[in-house]
Amino acid sequence: MAEIVRDKADRAPAQKNPARAKRRYRAPTFLPLWALIGGVIVVALIGSYPYYGTNAYVLSLLGKFLCFALFALSIDLIWGFTGILSLGQAVYFGIGAYFVALSLKINYAMDHPTRYGGKFPDFMEWNGLTGLPSFMTPLTNTPFAVLCALVVPTLLALLFGVITFKRHIYGVYCAVITLAESLILQDAIIEYQAYTGGFNGITDYGSYATPALLWFILAVCVVFLIVSRALTHSRVGTVLKSIRDNDVRAEFMGYNVANYRIFVFCVSAFMAAAAGALYAAWVGIISYLDAGPVFSIEGVIWTAVGGRGTLIGPFVGAFVVKGAEFFLSGALASWWQIIVGGLFIFVVLVMRDGIVGTIGNWLRKWRKGATLEEVMEESDQRAHDRQLDWQPGGPPPADEPVR
Amino acid sequence: MLQSIITQFLSGFSVVAILVIAAIGLAIIFGVAGVINMAHGELIMVGAYTAAVVGKLGGNTFAAIPVAFVVVGLLGLVIERGIIRWIYDRPLETLLATWGVGIIIQVLIKLIFGPELYYVGAPKILEGGFRVIGRLPFPYYRAFLIVMAVLLLLLVFYVIFKSDFGLKVRAVRRNRAIAGCLGIDTARVDMTIFAFGCGLAGIAGAVLAPIKSVSTTMGFPYAVDSYMVLVLGGVGSLWGVLTGGALIGEAETILSFVFNNVIGRLLVFLFIVIIIRVVPRGIFGYYERR
Repeated sequence: MAEIVRDKADRAPAQKNPARAKRRYRAPTFLPLWALIGGVIVVALIGSYPYYGTNAYVLSLLGKFLCFALFALSIDLIWGFTGILSLGQAVYFGIGAYFVALSLKINYAMDHPTRYGGKFPDFMEWNGLTGLPSFMTPLTNTPFAVLCALVVPTLLALLFGVITFKRHIYGVYCAVITLAESLILQDAIIEYQAYTGGFNGITDYGSYATPALLWFILAVCVVFLIVSRALTHSRVGTVLKSIRDNDVRAEFMGYNVANYRIFVFCVSAFMAAAAGALYAAWVGIISYLDAGPVFSIEGVIWTAVGGRGTLIGPFVGAFVVKGAEFFLSGALASWWQIIVGGLFIFVVLVMRDGIVGTIGNWLRKWRKGATLEEVMEESDQRAHDRQLDWQPGGPPPADEPVR
Repeated sequence: MLQSIITQFLSGFSVVAILVIAAIGLAIIFGVAGVINMAHGELIMVGAYTAAVVGKLGGNTFAAIPVAFVVVGLLGLVIERGIIRWIYDRPLETLLATWGVGIIIQVLIKLIFGPELYYVGAPKILEGGFRVIGRLPFPYYRAFLIVMAVLLLLLVFYVIFKSDFGLKVRAVRRNRAIAGCLGIDTARVDMTIFAFGCGLAGIAGAVLAPIKSVSTTMGFPYAVDSYMVLVLGGVGSLWGVLTGGALIGEAETILSFVFNNVIGRLLVFLFIVIIIRVVPRGIFGYYERR
């Protein structure tokens, strides 16, 4: 901690010992000027698209991608900054989305009776229900549903965190358990189709894809970005990063690693739920796939491609990968899937820091005057250190017997 | 009620056998080679397609088993040489890379075989079945699965604990540097053990093909189940595979019978999480003294 010197002290007279001066670490400014200007330009470009753009399809994609990017940001917070690899983040996204979609659908059904005159969602009628189930009546109140969409996933994440992180279950165990969690949710959605729409999902509840909602999504993205920046930039953020890099040491320093993990997991679940809620309102169709393991892992990939451990990375990753998918999958058909698979391998083997991270490496090289190899080596080392804690209880001892 | 639960318990044996068969390849890859292989389901799927091709050519399951072992083993060799060997020191990232491999395998199989389902018949000798305690019909093929699970466990036990190769594997796992100094080609051992694990996944696919329609997406649930078995039983332990498989298989069969499929799975999941909470490294996991 003593090494961290803020701007003011940095302007103090030069140290006598050059080696010591070199070790000084200056914390980056909260919002660099270039980021502020760039951010304003990007936000303005996206926000004003309804005025200069004529392509309604691109407009619908923009809102969608922003939600995906927010989802990826939530994964980045836990994976990129804290080192928890969750393969079930879509659980929180899905629950948020289903709450909002159900509420909108119920309200829509009140104004648009089904063919047989029932004033409740049509998929419930197809499945033999004769009226809105009583436990769903509170969802008629949309603000309450939105509140549920945000609070329920957060509480679920809290429960999950208390169960697992308190007992030092993380790394690959956490990944497997979260994966199973999202597979079960997906099965449950399909099984209880009278209440969730099953395979068909929830459709036809009116589209809310207006410029106003686009601006709202944009605003939410910006707010979450700033919150994430504040979080990762604070003392808490430093602890989180230290947990990522070496949790055993962080614990020795006296930090309650489990509580920090639970906290960031809840924040991330809240963010994913918000993304899901906005997504449901924007696209007007929601299905079991939006809560499934495949979507979760897709989010991990966007984060990895964009650059984990950077806040802009998830946005870049989601826009690049998803954008390429929407514009190329038509032309390339199933070959696109192979490209996606290859991208996973490429990101792991070659471009370990993702797009933003790699550009950052170039900039660091340019600023520091170090060779690119040195910068890459440093990042390799970081990636390696991060991996040592993949089993509960730290790295396996070298002489662990095989049984 | 009690009697039907007992019959469910007996029929659960075949579910246990399926879990053990599916998980044993992963036990090698994940437990011994240390690779988090998300393409495990796809390897099983390739094994099942191999069985389908062998079936088209006139062979039966018995012929398909060695063919699937070789085909999927070679596939595993290619994956190890091409990708895995660069990332042994970063286990969590093997997860991402092998997920990519899984996608590629899935799409390639779809391009070759088309999207339709394939059905593989059981061998002639294993058609039909017998009855246990009067009511429960028990197909011969299910009995064959139980035998197969035991045989595979014995095979792995022999390879790891009784053969020369197993000695090398254990030496490398215990202390890589010293094993290398003693003249063991560690890279070769890594490669072979990974390919062996993949081959076992291939056998699993060939054996499981007759009880399930063969499609490109058939593997993923098996992969998740296998991981749950390993996480519950303890990574890197054969007893763990057996115990994990037995607990999950029986619990799932009985709970699914009492409630329904989804609630059964949910309860099994909670049960696993609770056990993991008590023993974070699985029931037979290795615990260092603290």
